[in-house]
Amino acid sequence: MATDTDTGRASGESGFGRVSRLRGQLFESLTLGASVFGIVALAVLLAYVFWDAFGLAAAEPGWYVVFAGLTLLPAVVFVWYARRHPAVGETSLELVSTALAGVLGGFGLVAVLEVIAGDEVWFTYFCTVVAPLAGLYVYGRLDRTATWIGVGSLVALVGGPIVGTLLLGPLTTVAALLGAPLVYLLTVVVPAAGIVRYVVDDRLGLGNGNYAAAGLLAVAVLGVPLVDRTGVARSVWLLFVTALAPTALVVWNNVADSRWPGVVGPAGVAGGLAATVVVTDLVGITGPAPWFDWQYVTSDPSQTAADAGLYPAIIGSVFVIVLVAVTTLVVAIGAAVYLEEYAPTSGVAGAFARLVRINISNLAGVPSVVYGLLGLGVFANLANLGVGTVITAAFTLSLLILPIVIISAREAIQSVPDSLRQASYGMGATRWQTIRRVVLPQALPGTLTGTILALGRAIGETAPLIMIGVATTAFSPPSGLFSRTSAMPMQVFVWSSYPSEAFQHGVVAAGVVTLLIVLLTMNSIAILVRNKFERETH
Amino acid sequence: MSRDTTQTESGTDPTEPSTDPTEPSTDTAGSGTDGADPRADADQLVDTDPGGGGLSERERRETAATEPVVTARGLDVYYGDTQALDDVSIQIPANRVTAMIGPSGCGKSTFLRSINRMNDLVDIARVDGELFFQDAEIYADEVDPVALRRQVGMVFQHPNPFPKSIYDNVAYGLRVQGRTDDLDAVVEESLRKAALWEEVNDRLDETATGLSGGQQQRLCIARAIAVDPEVILMDEPASALDPVATSKIEDLIAELAESYTVVIVTHNMQQAARISDRTAVFLTGGELVEYDRTEKIFENPESQRVEDYITGKFG
Repeated sequence: MATDTDTGRASGESGFGRVSRLRGQLFESLTLGASVFGIVALAVLLAYVFWDAFGLAAAEPGWYVVFAGLTLLPAVVFVWYARRHPAVGETSLELVSTALAGVLGGFGLVAVLEVIAGDEVWFTYFCTVVAPLAGLYVYGRLDRTATWIGVGSLVALVGGPIVGTLLLGPLTTVAALLGAPLVYLLTVVVPAAGIVRYVVDDRLGLGNGNYAAAGLLAVAVLGVPLVDRTGVARSVWLLFVTALAPTALVVWNNVADSRWPGVVGPAGVAGGLAATVVVTDLVGITGPAPWFDWQYVTSDPSQTAADAGLYPAIIGSVFVIVLVAVTTLVVAIGAAVYLEEYAPTSGVAGAFARLVRINISNLAGVPSVVYGLLGLGVFANLANLGVGTVITAAFTLSLLILPIVIISAREAIQSVPDSLRQASYGMGATRWQTIRRVVLPQALPGTLTGTILALGRAIGETAPLIMIGVATTAFSPPSGLFSRTSAMPMQVFVWSSYPSEAFQHGVVAAGVVTLLIVLLTMNSIAILVRNKFERETH
Repeated sequence: MSRDTTQTESGTDPTEPSTDPTEPSTDTAGSGTDGADPRADADQLVDTDPGGGGLSERERRETAATEPVVTARGLDVYYGDTQALDDVSIQIPANRVTAMIGPSGCGKSTFLRSINRMNDLVDIARVDGELFFQDAEIYADEVDPVALRRQVGMVFQHPNPFPKSIYDNVAYGLRVQGRTDDLDAVVEESLRKAALWEEVNDRLDETATGLSGGQQQRLCIARAIAVDPEVILMDEPASALDPVATSKIEDLIAELAESYTVVIVTHNMQQAARISDRTAVFLTGGELVEYDRTEKIFENPESQRVEDYITGKFG
């Protein structure tokens, strides 16, 4: 820029003349406009949605003053501080995403234990899938020379559900004999005690892990009757535990050294929010009247806006998305490994691989409605999995994101340096050993990031769900793979067509916010996972 | 994908004709010694006495040929239509250091990669002629290249440790081969042999990518010798390292030759002169021009072309 502003004297004297920069400057402003346009449009939309969802119109000006002073100010100060200290920002990101992951994991656990499976079915699959997998993992950690652990885990993962379905009758009888409390004790509390023992003893070195594990057992056994007296549901307590325990671990790891502001910052912001509520209550200032609140997340849909909730749709969406994640990851990694590592470059097989590659790239651009049609034809009708069931929705959405995930997995595998493969082959490793020990561990972070971002897209899809006949409104959450379900975007979509103002502006906005929160949670977990793996491999 | 058709490691693109002919002779980077200018001494083309190079105490081994480990007879290698090796015949003796020198693209890396069949990974590579490892023909149909590579270790031009811990890097080959008895002892012994144990014994669990370049290359050597191969192939192992690290690697190669057969490709003629017992000179077109005792090659080569190459005239 200096040449066309401050060299007037020099150019005037030397007679070089001037070169016009007009077109370039025009282009520069255009590109700036293009980049800002999307962000501004999205920001306006989001501000509008949040305004409605949290009912901010109802709040008095005084509330805004208190909110700005107690919540926004600490938040801004912390962000400013974190920008100057990257380690602090990283810590707070880890803290927040761990807490979110804990909430999501606890939510999933509650959904599986109480809503979808119930204690007897859960016990069956625990015995045939979870317990063998955990056993193999522990054995693999103890006996480093066992080479069959990976294959065994795969067999357990694939064969376990089949065996479980076959043995559903006898095992549910066993579970009924044990009774729900004993089932939960065996399948949730005891494994949790094992994890606590490992964390306390081996990871933190805090002392004897056996006491900690025994303590957890005692707390769980004695705590449940106490908890029942508080009037807050057991599932909510479980959520607290799954969110707070890993968070506490992160706090413990970071609080000791110079990264402690990363822990204090988010805590301060959360405390500021709590203080805002308390102060406005005491002074008597009217706060906002949010549509997005605890009642909204835990109620069934209703004809009256005040009672309406998203609970069955949230459970449905999360259930579907977990299945999508599992099926997609397995198929996509398989496809990507074949295309990148095994497929020959010449001959008939080479031509076939080329055809597959080109088509996968094209499939990524096929409209989602078309996938819905495919799901309706293949899964719902041909395979007879049922119209609008969880499994049909999961398979359809899997197909929808499969091309994207395959592409990201392929890119991750491509980015593994060839010198590492050569080193492995040079050591006398077979192709399988090279893939298993060198390529996949390196490619996993990239693949996981791509998968979770694609899952974010799947959870918001509406068109294919309409096609396969997913219910717009369900009054109970799905109870199994073949049970009919609803999904968050479907529910939001149908509410938006209700005539009442309260639905159109309040309930729909709250639904959008719920979706966004689930999405952002998944994204922050993706970042957490990637950072974790990158730290381990580099 | 295109990955299979290119050799990123060797630095000699087989499809490319020989590059700048003056480059190899002027490449003295990483020599570790301030060697005499080869052209200044009429009797001796290159100084074969290492002087201060750290090898002065080494007693030069008796250079008479021992039992040949690798024997080539009329070996031709093609990449597609390009011929990379032309009728190469050579006998590489056991427990000696054999150096391969020559300009870029002359086929020395190709020859190295033929010995452990790494060329199999290149789809368009084709091999004619006879190549024996001890008494077994390497390119016979019944030979499993994976089993062959377990006898023939390889060290590459750029250090390429796995992004795992130092311990896991050294244990990799043993685990791959299922030889996990006494893993700790073998890892320690290999690191000691590679002169790395003292530097890393307190941080075996740390990631190998945190080591310096020279340490990484010695780790790669430790990784290669952990599985106790018959032959170790080294493809310009010091060309990416600084002089100090190079000197350490050269010391190490000399020690390794006591228990292993070492075949080393190098661009650095002084290095070849310092560390090798025998030297093979490849020139453009994949032709093995001369192969003899190192002293003979550097002091009194038969071929005028070799003399021109060594003195930097390159005929």
